[in-house]
Amino acid sequence: MKRFKVEKALSICIYLFLFSSTYNLNAQTDWVKWEGKETFYELPATHHHDYTVDKSSFGMTLLSVMRDTYYFFISDLDGDNCPFEPSCSAFFLQSVKETSIFKGTLMFADRFTRDLNFFKGMNHYPLLSSNKFFDPAYNYTLYSKKIKFYFGRDIEN
Amino acid sequence: MILKTKIAYRFLITVLLFIVPLTTHNCQLSANNQNFFSPHNRLQFGNYLYKDKDYLRAADEFKVYLKSVYNDTIVFRLANSYFKIGRYTEAADNFKGLFFGSQLSEEARLLLYESIFFQNDYKSLRENDKGKIYYSSKYANEIERLRFISYFFDNSAPPDENALLKNFPDSVQSQLINFYQQKKYPQHKSPTTAAILSTLIPGAGKIYIGEIGDGITSLIATALTTYLAITNFNADHQFRGWLFSGLAAFFYAGNIYGAAASAQIYNARIQFNFDKEVKLFFEQRNYFLPKVDY
Amino acid sequence: MKIRVTIIFFLSTFLFTVKAQDHLSIQFDYADNLFNSKQYYDAITEYKRLQFFDSTKIFNYEINYKIGECYKAGSKYDDAVQYFSLAEMNARTDDESYDSKTQIIRTNILRRTTDRALQLCDELEKDQRYSGKSDQINYWRGWALILADNWEAAAKSFAKINSNHELKKLAEQTEKAKVSVTFAKVISYILPGSGAIYSGKFLSGLMSLGWNLLSGYWTVNSFMEDRVFDGVVVAELVWLRFYRGAIQNAEEFAIEKNLEVSNKSLRYLQNEYKGIKP
Repeated sequence: MKRFKVEKALSICIYLFLFSSTYNLNAQTDWVKWEGKETFYELPATHHHDYTVDKSSFGMTLLSVMRDTYYFFISDLDGDNCPFEPSCSAFFLQSVKETSIFKGTLMFADRFTRDLNFFKGMNHYPLLSSNKFFDPAYNYTLYSKKIKFYFGRDIEN
Repeated sequence: MILKTKIAYRFLITVLLFIVPLTTHNCQLSANNQNFFSPHNRLQFGNYLYKDKDYLRAADEFKVYLKSVYNDTIVFRLANSYFKIGRYTEAADNFKGLFFGSQLSEEARLLLYESIFFQNDYKSLRENDKGKIYYSSKYANEIERLRFISYFFDNSAPPDENALLKNFPDSVQSQLINFYQQKKYPQHKSPTTAAILSTLIPGAGKIYIGEIGDGITSLIATALTTYLAITNFNADHQFRGWLFSGLAAFFYAGNIYGAAASAQIYNARIQFNFDKEVKLFFEQRNYFLPKVDY
Repeated sequence: MKIRVTIIFFLSTFLFTVKAQDHLSIQFDYADNLFNSKQYYDAITEYKRLQFFDSTKIFNYEINYKIGECYKAGSKYDDAVQYFSLAEMNARTDDESYDSKTQIIRTNILRRTTDRALQLCDELEKDQRYSGKSDQINYWRGWALILADNWEAAAKSFAKINSNHELKKLAEQTEKAKVSVTFAKVISYILPGSGAIYSGKFLSGLMSLGWNLLSGYWTVNSFMEDRVFDGVVVAELVWLRFYRGAIQNAEEFAIEKNLEVSNKSLRYLQNEYKGIKP
C-alpha cells in the first residue's frame, strides 16, 4: 500500500514535470488552425524506380522510354549501386529536362566522375535517411539562383 | 391544532411561491453574468489564452471583444498575437491602428518595424526608416539598428563600416567586423579560373576549389581512358580505340563543366553558411531589440 | 403534513440548483456538439473556455479527456497524450482512471511508439484495481503488436482473450502468408534469381538468372582464351554486379511481399473491421 502511494506520488510528479515543461507545446501546435486527420494503418511502401514516361516533348519521351528500358533490363537487376539520390540515370533525365541534351550530357559526365570518387563521403553532400547522398540536378545548371542548400548533412523539412 | 397546521402550511406555500421566482430570477441574473460570450468574459478568457501563449485563439477572442469595446492594450495584444505566430501583415495592420491617440504608440511603431523586418521586406524597412515614416522618438536607435542589421540579410551594398558599427555595443564589435568583412569581401572562387585550370590539367579546377578527391578521380579517369585509347589504336583495335577516345572526351568535358559548376556551388555554400551564422548571432541577441509586451 | 412540507421544500431547492448548474452544462454540450461535428480545433477552444470559467473544477476530468480526444482525432498525438495524462490526474474513480490510461495506450499505438504502449499495458496488468480487465488489456496489446508488424506475437495476445478471436485468426493468417527473407537470400546465394522466384517475381528472377549465366559464360570464355584482363573486367563489372543484385533483390522482394501481406490485413482492419480500433 505504501509502495503504491509512493508510485502514485512519483507518477504525479512526473506528470507535473511533463506538464510544466511542455505546456507551451500544445499552444504552438495550435498557432495554425487544423482539421481532423485520419491515421492510416498501412506501412510505408518500399522505394521503386519511377517508370513514368515524360510526355512534355518528343525528346523527353524518347529519353524516358530509353531510361525505362535501362531500368527494366539492367538497373532493376543489378542491385542498388548508386550512392546518390537521384540515381545517375534519373539525374541525366533531370539534367536534360532542366537544360538541354548537350548541357545535360556534360552534367551527367560530371556526376559520373563524382560517382567514381571513392572518397565522396568527405564532400558536402547532405545525407538522406536512406543513407544516400542528396545530389539534385538543379544545383549544377550554372544558374546560381537555382542552387539550394540544406542544414548540416540532413535534408531540412 | 389542525387549524394552526393548516395556516402554517398555507403560509409556507405562499412564502415559497414568492421565494422560488425570486431565486430563479437571481439565478437568471447570475446565469447572465456567467454568459461566457459576453465581452467582459471573452476578454478574460482571451487574456488567459494570451498568457498561455495560445495566440491564435487569443486573437480570435480579442477580435470579437474589440467589436464592442475599444481598448488600445487589447489592440496591442491582438497585434502582438499575430506577430508571435508569424502573421506579420496582420500584425502590422493592427499596430498601425495604435499610432495616433494611444499611449502605446511608440511601442506599436517599433513592432511595426519588426513586423516589416521579419517579413524579410528589408527594402521597405530601410525606405521607411530613411524617410522617418512611422517615426518613433523613443525607439529611434533600435529601429536604426534594425535597419543596419538588414544589410546583413540581403544582397544590398552595406553602408560604411564605422557608420554601421557605432550603433552596436562594444561586446559584439569584433564579431560584427568579422561579419562585415565576410559580407563585403566574400572568399569566393572563380568559376572561370576553375574551368581554365581543368582545361589545362584535368581535375586541377576541382582541386583549386578544394574537392581533392573529385579532382584526382577526374585526372585518373581522363588519363586512363586516354591511355587505353592510344594503346588500342596502336594495337590496331579500332573499335576499342574509338570507344576509349569517346570515354576520354566524355570525362574531359565533364571535368571542365564540373569544375565551373563546383565553383558556383562552393560560392553558394559560403553564402548559405554566412547567412546561417549571421541569423543565429542576431537571433541569440533578439536582434538587439527590447522585449515589449502588455 | 410534515411530509408534504418536506416535499415542497426539497422541490423548491431542486429548482434552484438545476438553474445554477445549467450554464456550465450548456457550454459543455456546445463543445460536445462541435466535437461531434468534427470541428476539433473549435471544440478545444470551447472546452478550454469551460475549463477557465469552471471555478469548482467539476468538469476537469471530462474537459481534459475530450481535449485529448480532439487532439487524437487531429493526429496530434503528443498533445493528446498530455491531455489524457491530465485527465488521469483528475480522475475521480477507478473507471475514469482506467479509461484515461487506455486512451494513452491507444494514442501510443497510433503514434507507433509500440514499446511505450506495451509498457503501459504491462503496468495496467500489474495494477490490482484492473484485474478484471485483462481481456481489454490483451486486446490493446495485440493492436500495438499488429501496428508494429509483429503478427505472431499479436496472435498470441488475442489468443489469451479467446482462442477463436477474429483478430487472432487474422494475425495467424497474415503471419502464415509471409515468406522467409533469410531463406530467399540463402537460395539466391546458391542459384541467383531463385530468391526472386520464391517471392513471386518470376520474370525478374529469370532475367537475373539469365544475366548471371551470360556474364559467367563471358568470364569463363575470356579466361579460357587467355584474355585475363577482359575476364577480370567482365567478372568485376558485370558478373559480380548481377550476382550481388540477385541477392539484394531476393531480400527486397521478400520484404516487399511481406509488406503487401501486412498492408492487406491492415487495410482490412482500417476499412472493414467492425470492432473497437485505436
